[in-house]
Amino acid sequence: MYYNVGVFGMGIFRPQSAISVQKVSKTFKYKGREIRAIQEVSFDQPKGSVWALVGHNGAGKTTLIKILSTLIIPSSGEAYVNGYSVTKEEKKVRASIGLVTVSERLLYYRLTGLDNLIFFASLQGLSLSEARRRGREIMELLGLGNWVDVPYMKYSTGMQRRLALARALLTDPPVMFMDEPTLGLDPLSARVFRELIRQISRTKTILMTSHYLKEVEELASNIVVMKRGKVAAIGTPQELKRIVGKVVEVKVREIPPGMGKFVVSSDGRSVTLRLPASYVDGLRVEEEREVEPTLDDLYIYLIGEQEEGERVERVRRGGGWTWRE
Amino acid sequence: MEGVISRLYSFLYIRGFKVWITYRTQVVLTILSWILPVFTYYFTGTSLGSHLVQKTGVSNYTSFVVIGLAFQGYVSSIITTISQRIRNEQLYGTIEYYVISRAGVLGFLFYSAIWGFTLNTISGVITLLIGLPLGVIYHIDVLGTVIIIALLILSTLGFSMIAGAITMIIKQGNPISFFFSTFTTLISGTVFPISVLPLAVKYISYAIPLTWALNGLRDSMLQGASIFQLTPTILILVLFNAVLIPLGVFTYNYSFKLARLKGTLSEY
Repeated sequence: MYYNVGVFGMGIFRPQSAISVQKVSKTFKYKGREIRAIQEVSFDQPKGSVWALVGHNGAGKTTLIKILSTLIIPSSGEAYVNGYSVTKEEKKVRASIGLVTVSERLLYYRLTGLDNLIFFASLQGLSLSEARRRGREIMELLGLGNWVDVPYMKYSTGMQRRLALARALLTDPPVMFMDEPTLGLDPLSARVFRELIRQISRTKTILMTSHYLKEVEELASNIVVMKRGKVAAIGTPQELKRIVGKVVEVKVREIPPGMGKFVVSSDGRSVTLRLPASYVDGLRVEEEREVEPTLDDLYIYLIGEQEEGERVERVRRGGGWTWRE
Repeated sequence: MEGVISRLYSFLYIRGFKVWITYRTQVVLTILSWILPVFTYYFTGTSLGSHLVQKTGVSNYTSFVVIGLAFQGYVSSIITTISQRIRNEQLYGTIEYYVISRAGVLGFLFYSAIWGFTLNTISGVITLLIGLPLGVIYHIDVLGTVIIIALLILSTLGFSMIAGAITMIIKQGNPISFFFSTFTTLISGTVFPISVLPLAVKYISYAIPLTWALNGLRDSMLQGASIFQLTPTILILVLFNAVLIPLGVFTYNYSFKLARLKGTLSEY
């Protein structure tokens, strides 16, 4: 089933689109097997917006970001970034984008923050004086002004991530791709980073991936939910929540068949489920109360079965487990 | 032009020298590795005696070995450095940023090679200077020497691109790097003339530009051979480059395209 509740979602190229994905598929071959990482994904993201890709691990989010960054060649379909084809106008696409990825190192440990930025700015063709000026300016902007001459290896994880963001901003690109930008950050660093994304989004189009749905709701105007390489739903957070409808939290004695993905917690005697109200019919419910739908509810509703088996097994083995642990 | 200067500064000074100098012990060991082999072979030559050495067709073994060591390191270390560089960037997670940069993957290779060339030029000059107190007398034809070195550098770049392509595809266990780091000393006439090698191995020697370049450099730097006398060597090196450079560019670019198709760009 495919939900397209937003205005931009059909994958038809529009001049005002900053990112246009049209029936993009990618199949990898591994030990003779074909792995369909992405299957006929389509959407159009307007200029100046922040969109988020969400989905389970292996849903195809990073692959799609890499296709849009020209780092992976799609098997079929076409995508445009800033109006340029990712397969035919790679250089123009690359000149239009800033990329923030997650990796253990990302920059050179033994160089200072500023030297790292000067180095990567020179790769982009900036003169030395321009690279130095721009590097200092961005470090100041991102709150790293006092860390200009400190080696990168002395930075905290949050600061390292901010420097990676600074690198992506060196050429002032109109489109930014951010793959799990706050992954592994402590709550305070994540909040600082989200604020930076918000500032940057005033002048740029941002497509990000994240597993943190509250963060996504806070930052993104539209969300593309991906499941097993396909688009499961597209829309604003409010539109997506309406897909689930009325949500209730109920207590039951046992997990009903096929409902494992709705388990919130278990105390050994009863199991608490959080699920669409339409699913309650026929259940032997001990307690029931209506709750405000969240993106978590949508995520579990659309994607939850990916991890359902494991959760059900853990609850059956003795309870005392919480979904949000 | 400003972009080129800024990249040269960045690759040579920032990522090259500034990173290199932070590993001080490694710097000392590297400099020792430039110096010690000259003495090893110097004492080997003197202990064998000039009569025995001359039987191999070499009149002054120290001169022979100094030229060999000065330029063999030039080739082998640059080729292995490039392969190692690509692998390091994959490990650091920075390779993708080179791919999407304006410099591109060829720029990455070219500028990375320049750092390797700079270090090895210093190493080569030190080796040649050590030769002076050991009795080496240079009669250098500058133009011929410069042309042969330039052609040797170009062929090294060609091999570097092929080695880089192999690293990009198979990630580790690079036969080109292995060959140049291990076998060139053995078969390219670095520390003994190839005339002593079995016939089959001799043919392999002739298929390596370094063998021809070392012959030419010994002529141009020890006997002052002119560019006209060096013409056959120069032509052979030009032929090598006519094959190696296009082949290197093609395989290098193709390997990156293949990695983008397979999604293995940052795998290691």
